[in-house]
Parts: sequence; C-alpha cells; structure tokens
Amino acid sequence: MEDEVVVEAKQLLVRYGDFTAVDHISFAVRRGEIYGFLGANGAGKTTTIRVLCGLLPPTSGDVRVAGIGYRQDEAPLKAVARPPWGMRISAGGYERVERTIKTKVGYMSQKFTLYNDLTVGENLDFIASLHKMAPAVYRRRRQELLEFISFKKNLGDMVGELSGGIKQQVSLAAAMLHDPEIVFLDEPTAGVTPAGRLRFWKLIRRLAENGKTVFVTTHYMDEAEQCGRIALMRDGRLIAEDSPAGLKKLIFPEPVFEFDPIKPLSFSELKSFETHEAFSFFQPYGHRFHAAAANAEVWARRAPDLRTIFSIRPIAPSLEDVFIRAIEGRR
Amino acid sequence: MAAGEPISIQVRDVHKEFRRFEALHGITLDFDPGLMHGIIGPEGSGKTTLLRILLGLMRPAQGRILYFEGGRPASFDVLRPHIAYMPQAQSLYPDLSIEEHLAFFRDLYGIQPRAYAEKRAELLSVSRLAPFVDRPAGQLSGGMYKKLGLMCALLRSPRVIVLDEPTTGVDPISRRELWELLYRLLDQGILVLVTTAYLDEAERCSKVHLIESGSVIASGEPRALLDDQKARSFDELFLRRAAGSASE
Amino acid sequence: MSFSWIRVGAVARKEWYHVRRDPFTMAVGLALPLIMVVIYGVAIDFIIKDVSLAVSDSDHSQASRRLIDTFVSSNYFRGRSVPNPASAMTAVVSGDAKAALIIPPTFERDLLAGRSGQAQILLDGCDNSTVTPVLSYLDTIEAIASSKLAGATNDLPYDLRVRYLFNPELNSRWFTIPGLIVVIMAILAVFLTALTVAREWENGSMELLLSTPVHPIEIIIGKAVPYAGMGAIAIAFVYIVARFAFGVPFAGHLWVFALGCALFLVTYQAQGLLISIATRNQAVAMQVAMISGMVPSNLLSGFVFPIASMPRFFWYFTMLLPARWFMTIARFSFLEGSNFSQLGVSFLALGLSCAVMTALAVRAFKRTLE
Repeated sequence: MEDEVVVEAKQLLVRYGDFTAVDHISFAVRRGEIYGFLGANGAGKTTTIRVLCGLLPPTSGDVRVAGIGYRQDEAPLKAVARPPWGMRISAGGYERVERTIKTKVGYMSQKFTLYNDLTVGENLDFIASLHKMAPAVYRRRRQELLEFISFKKNLGDMVGELSGGIKQQVSLAAAMLHDPEIVFLDEPTAGVTPAGRLRFWKLIRRLAENGKTVFVTTHYMDEAEQCGRIALMRDGRLIAEDSPAGLKKLIFPEPVFEFDPIKPLSFSELKSFETHEAFSFFQPYGHRFHAAAANAEVWARRAPDLRTIFSIRPIAPSLEDVFIRAIEGRR
Repeated sequence: MAAGEPISIQVRDVHKEFRRFEALHGITLDFDPGLMHGIIGPEGSGKTTLLRILLGLMRPAQGRILYFEGGRPASFDVLRPHIAYMPQAQSLYPDLSIEEHLAFFRDLYGIQPRAYAEKRAELLSVSRLAPFVDRPAGQLSGGMYKKLGLMCALLRSPRVIVLDEPTTGVDPISRRELWELLYRLLDQGILVLVTTAYLDEAERCSKVHLIESGSVIASGEPRALLDDQKARSFDELFLRRAAGSASE
Repeated sequence: MSFSWIRVGAVARKEWYHVRRDPFTMAVGLALPLIMVVIYGVAIDFIIKDVSLAVSDSDHSQASRRLIDTFVSSNYFRGRSVPNPASAMTAVVSGDAKAALIIPPTFERDLLAGRSGQAQILLDGCDNSTVTPVLSYLDTIEAIASSKLAGATNDLPYDLRVRYLFNPELNSRWFTIPGLIVVIMAILAVFLTALTVAREWENGSMELLLSTPVHPIEIIIGKAVPYAGMGAIAIAFVYIVARFAFGVPFAGHLWVFALGCALFLVTYQAQGLLISIATRNQAVAMQVAMISGMVPSNLLSGFVFPIASMPRFFWYFTMLLPARWFMTIARFSFLEGSNFSQLGVSFLALGLSCAVMTALAVRAFKRTLE
C-alpha cells in the first residue's frame, strides 16, 4: 500500500504549436509522498500539473493518476491525413478519463482559487455543488477541513477580506473538499508571509501523513527542503530527481563554504569574486555568500587571503544553491 | 547615471485608516539617498500603503511626507518625474510587447531618442530580454515579466525607485538577476525602496525597516539589527515573533 | 507639469494597439456600422405602398367622394368599397384590409352647415410596422382634405394632392440613414470608450500609469483619439453608402454636418470616459453605457419614435440628450439643406452638452488610487 504508485507519467510530451512545453518526461510518485517540482518560470511545471489533473490533453505519452490511465501515442509520421487539431484518442474518451481523474485529485492553482466577492461559506458551497456532494457529507467534510486548517474566522466573512495566508488555507480546504487522493498545489504560497508559509507547510505534512499524495511547485527553497523528493525541471525536461540531500550531493560533489564579509563590500568588489579562481560557484545568500571550492590545491593556496575579508565556515549547500547551479550552470 | 542631485524622503507620523488591512498608525522613517531600504513585515502590515503614500497615489490621513533634493526641501510635484515605481500587482499590458512597452514609457517620460537608444540597449542586455522584444507581456514568464516592469521603471534613469515585492512568484535565478539590477543602481547613488517577502533579500539591503500592524518596530542596518535581536537571520527573527504572537 | 502632445500620442498609440489586437473592439468598430447599414437600409424597408383600405361611404356625396379620392390618389392606399361600416370593420379584423375609412351619411351636410365633418379611420393596431407610417400619411391627408373641404363649400377644389416636403417620395431610407449615423456613433463612442479606463483599473496598469508624469487630461485625450478615428471612418462609410448606394441626397453643407459629427463624437466619448472613470469596472461600465448611451440614442433621439408624439415628460427629457440635437442636425443637413444659423439651437445645445461632459470627465479623473 505504502509503495503504491499513484501518479505516473511516461514519455509525457506537450506541444503548443512549435513550442515544446514538456519534453518527454517520466516520473512516478508514491502514495503519501510530498513531491516537489522545481524549475525556472516557464520550465513546464504548470503544464505538467495541468495534464496530470486532466485539464489539458497531452500531445503524447502515458499518464496514470490514481489508477486511471490514458495513453496518447505520438502520431505516426505517415499519418498525414490526421488533422493537426485531431486527437488520437476520441474526444469522448478523453473527456470520460479526465472527469474520472477530477474526482480523485484536488487542484489549487497559483492564480485563481476562490471568489473574492463571495463569503467563505458560499465559496465552499459552490465547490461542493460542483462535485455534487450530498449535503450531509459536505457539512461533515467542511467541519473536518475547517478544523484541520484551524479556521477561526466566520463562514460569512468575504474571502476578499481575508489575509493572504488564511486565504491560501481556505483554498487548500476547498481543493480537499471532495476528499481527493492526490492534491496538486501550484505555487500555493506565492506572496504569503514566512509565518503563513510555515503554517501552510505543517498542513501539507499532515496531509501526507494521512496518506494523501501531495504534488507541489514552489519558488521558496526552504519549502522545497521539506519535500520527500524533488524533480528539477528546465526547458520542459526533467534534469534531476532525488531527495533534497541526494540532490545536494549530486550537484555539489565539492565542499561548500559560507562566506560572511567582515566588512561590507561594494557591488563591484563582489563581482570580482564571482570569477575568482578559487571558486567554482559563488552566490550571495542574504548578506553572506555561498561558495564551492574549485579544487583542493587552489583552495589551499588562496584561502588565507580570503580569510582576511570573510569569516569562512563549511556548510551543506542550500537547495537554492542547488537550483542555481543545476538550472543556470548548464544553460 | 542619474542626473541631478540625490533625493531623500522623510516620513513624519503618517496615519492612514482602512477597514481591515494595510492601515498605518504613525509611521516615522528617514530614507537617505544612495541606499537600499528594505521595508519588511507581514502581509497587511501597511507596506504597500506606505509606498503608495510616498508616491502621491494616496493621501495620508494625518502626518506629512517631506522630500529633499540635495538636502534642500523640494515639492513632490517637482520630483515626481524622478521617482519610479514598480507596483506589486501585475500592471503591464498583456497585449503589448516588450518593445512597445519601452516605447510607451519613453514617450510618457519624454526621453530623447539618443538617450533612449542607449538606455534601451543597456537595459535589454543587463536583463537578458533582448531576444524577446517582440513577445507580448502576457506571454512572458513570471521572472521576465518582473524584469520588464523594472526596465519600464528604470528607463528614465530615476533618482528614486520604489519596488513593491519585485521578486514574489519569481524563480531563484530571476530573483538573483533582479537583485543584480538593483545593486547596479545603488552604485549610481539612487535611493532604492523595496518591500520583500524573501527575508534573505532583506539582509542584502543597506537599511531595513520592520513594520508590523502599521507601526515601525525596528529600523537600522540589517546586521546590527540582527545582532541586536540575537537572531542569525530575518527568517529566524520573524518566525520567533510569529511564534510569540501565536502563543498570546 | 505642462501638457505634452508626446504623452497624448503615446497613450493614443498604446490604445490603438489594444484596439487592433482586440477582436471584440474591432468587430464593434468595423462590422457593426456595416451590419446596421444593411439591416436598416436593405432589410427593413419602411416604404408602405398600396395599403389596402376598406371604404364604407354611406354619404355618397361630392364631399365624401373627394375625401376618398384624396386617399386613393396618394398612391399609398388601394381603395376597395364595402357596403357598410360593419363590413369595413370585418375587413380590418380579418386582415383583408390594413385600414378602413368610414364616412357617415351626414358627412357633407355637416360640412355645409359649418360643422366639422366626421369621418372615421380604423387601423389594424397589431401591425406596428404599418401603423406609424399610415398614421403619418393620414395626418397629412386629413389636414389637407379637411381644410380644402371645409374652406370651400360652394367651390370645391379638385386639386387635392399630398405633397411631402423634403422627402417627396416618402422614402424611408432617406429618413433612416442619416439617423443611423447618430446611432452608430453613439455605440462606437460611448460603448468603446466606456471600456478603456476601466480596463486600466482592472488590468492594474492604472497604478503604474498614475505614478508617471502623465496628466489625466493627456490620458483622456489619448484614449479618445483612436476611437474618434474609428468613429470618423464609420461616419464616412455610412455617408458614402447613403449617398451612392441608397441615393440619399445631401442637401446641406458638409462642414456644418462635419462640425455636428465632431461635437457629438466628443460629447459621447466624454460620456463614455466619464462612465469608465467612475465605474472602474468593465462589466459595470458596459451596462451603464448601454443604458445611458445606446438606449436613449435609439429610442429617444427621434430615430425610432418621433419626438413630437412623445409624452410631455419625455419630450422635455429629450432636450437633455445630445443625440436628439445631433439627430436634428444630421437629418436637416441631409434632407433640408439647413445652414449653420438655421441649426443654431441644435448646435448651441450640442456644444453645451459637449462642454459639460468633457468637464465632468476631466474632473472625475483622480490622480490617486482612492
């Protein structure tokens, strides 16, 4: 049960005209996992999630979500008669599949989740009616979820007047209303304060403990640290997939140090360190810097000089360092 | 290089009432030129309201904003053309391309063709947006969109630039690129005001002003401030405060 | 900050990009005038000829025969004798006739005795499309007939003829198409401009725009310009179609007409912008534009219903509508060839509303977000 694969994609391809948004990616997510999807804006994360939620038919590839699968074969080269908009799978077939998928997944998008001009109760009522939930089931479920998110406001409060953090929690409750097995969260915490993000991630962890599978994208690397596994995407491709610790080892085989400037440095002074021969990587992190040693010999030679400018201590690289090196370093 | 003398701004006991959020209860702050001022605080603490008041987009209910040019008092209307703004919410035109945005703001600011050509080339190369000049803003990724917003603000070589959460929803790499653009400005003696939800960014400001529920709770150099609060980072500081207020 | 045409141009150019790229705006701007001209000019033909008229003449006098003659000789009625008033009524009820003329036995006697001769007209009130024109024919015929009949007891003149001044063929297109210009411009001007400022608010770009040196009046002029251009093209289009496709004569002075167009366009654009500025919301702006701009210009400007036959309240109310004054200017320019001084009152009223609307729009535009 624990190792059961609930989300699986094989050779998933999505094209918009000439543009390949998702380029033959494959991955598998097990029940109860928190699976993080990281990548630059426009790397194809949202597109992938939309396919998995049944919101967008893929150009080709196999997708299996909560036991429901469909397959889209790439058009044979000779099939010239096939209209460009034609789908191999008949429209009726895809619709049936995506409707079934939608009963098993919850989706919280980065942009729109709730109606600002409706109250919390009205929003939840509306979503319950979309799922055709029986009134008694809905009321019980609503009660559970409001307790789950520790909702202290009134159901009669306008969503537009809630703070961003509480709005996100209510959105999560709305996405979980029909008790889905899998929940897809697309940048759920953008613009939420650190304390709000912390509370939100506590909820995510509890969902996973209760056997729900959480599929999440984020730009906050401290959040990514809390994922069980992380997939790094760039230009529609999956370039690495591992646990946070595994990714750090993979991307930074060399030792990493934190540099704390003893005296503040000007922008141009800092710029010169980026190309310093001792470093294979040098990036600001707050008012400090994270750097990777180019090689042991040069490092041993140049370290004494550097210690006059910085106080230096060895650290594990942050996921932000991993992200920057993995995504940018290979551009 | 920004022409003209540096601008500084003083906020004196500014109040603003709202129904629920973003109210201000007596804010007093000094924004000195040539520095990067980070305004940080929880959501709804009044950061955006403060910025809007500084920009003349809202009037304070009480209190005053004083503007200085080269240390001498100056009126806001005189300085307005030299103060640039990048709002938090999406504020560009989705159907206009990068090139069309730049041309639009060139004419609004009355920039001369030669100065414009130079500035345009510089901004496009620094922002690495040159290959996308014909792409409509609605089709840009989050990071590119923010960079375009910043370019529109920088086009006129302002002496003050006000940025409301410029890096929200932006991936770590674009975030770094945006900060590089800001650092370049600092070297030119520009006053930068920035709000951010990323607390590691707060550490990179010259001065940090912590705002909570419409009041300034601390203000100063980030490292001194952290040492003062015995915190290693602003993340730590804020989480501690949040934990404190939650247990109340 | 002084006024700058460069900034106006920047706003106008940007607005033009929006127009060009928005299929909805393009459709309203270009397709709508075309569709309306086709509908009003070709599909709906108001010309009523050969209206079947059941005539019951119980008098059989010289006077009654002359009255009947007056109707029939107008070419708009085809007379058919019926034996008695009851069968005249039956003819109208059954739809055999659109109208009935019933002359009582005492008709000539009453006339000769100096009393007013009473004749009755029955109309099929269900058929709205014929009632209005038939009534207007009757008005004229009756006026002429009665004056002639009553004023000449001994010497009944034979020369009874209806003559429609300025539109001798009573061609409805001649009347409709100049009015159509008013309706099309009202839609273009109010409807499209009402969306523009509201779009900036919804888009979030207003916050950025207000932080630049651009002045409200520059935004207002810049936003109006592209739509004014579209309005001018629409006017030229309708004018050309009117003159050359439908053969509507233009008797007046082109510059008088053009001045009227310009004033009306500016007035309605200002109204649209005022709506947009006040509502800050495209959906609401659209509704308000519909109610305050399009409906009155259609129904209360004299385009569909003659102002003279409106209830007193509405008759006064139309005085406030720029569309009513421009309707007068358009129709009189086309059909009557009136010059500027003859249309002085209309121009004065239109100019006044133009000034008031523009002032309101500029005043409503605030430089703050509050």
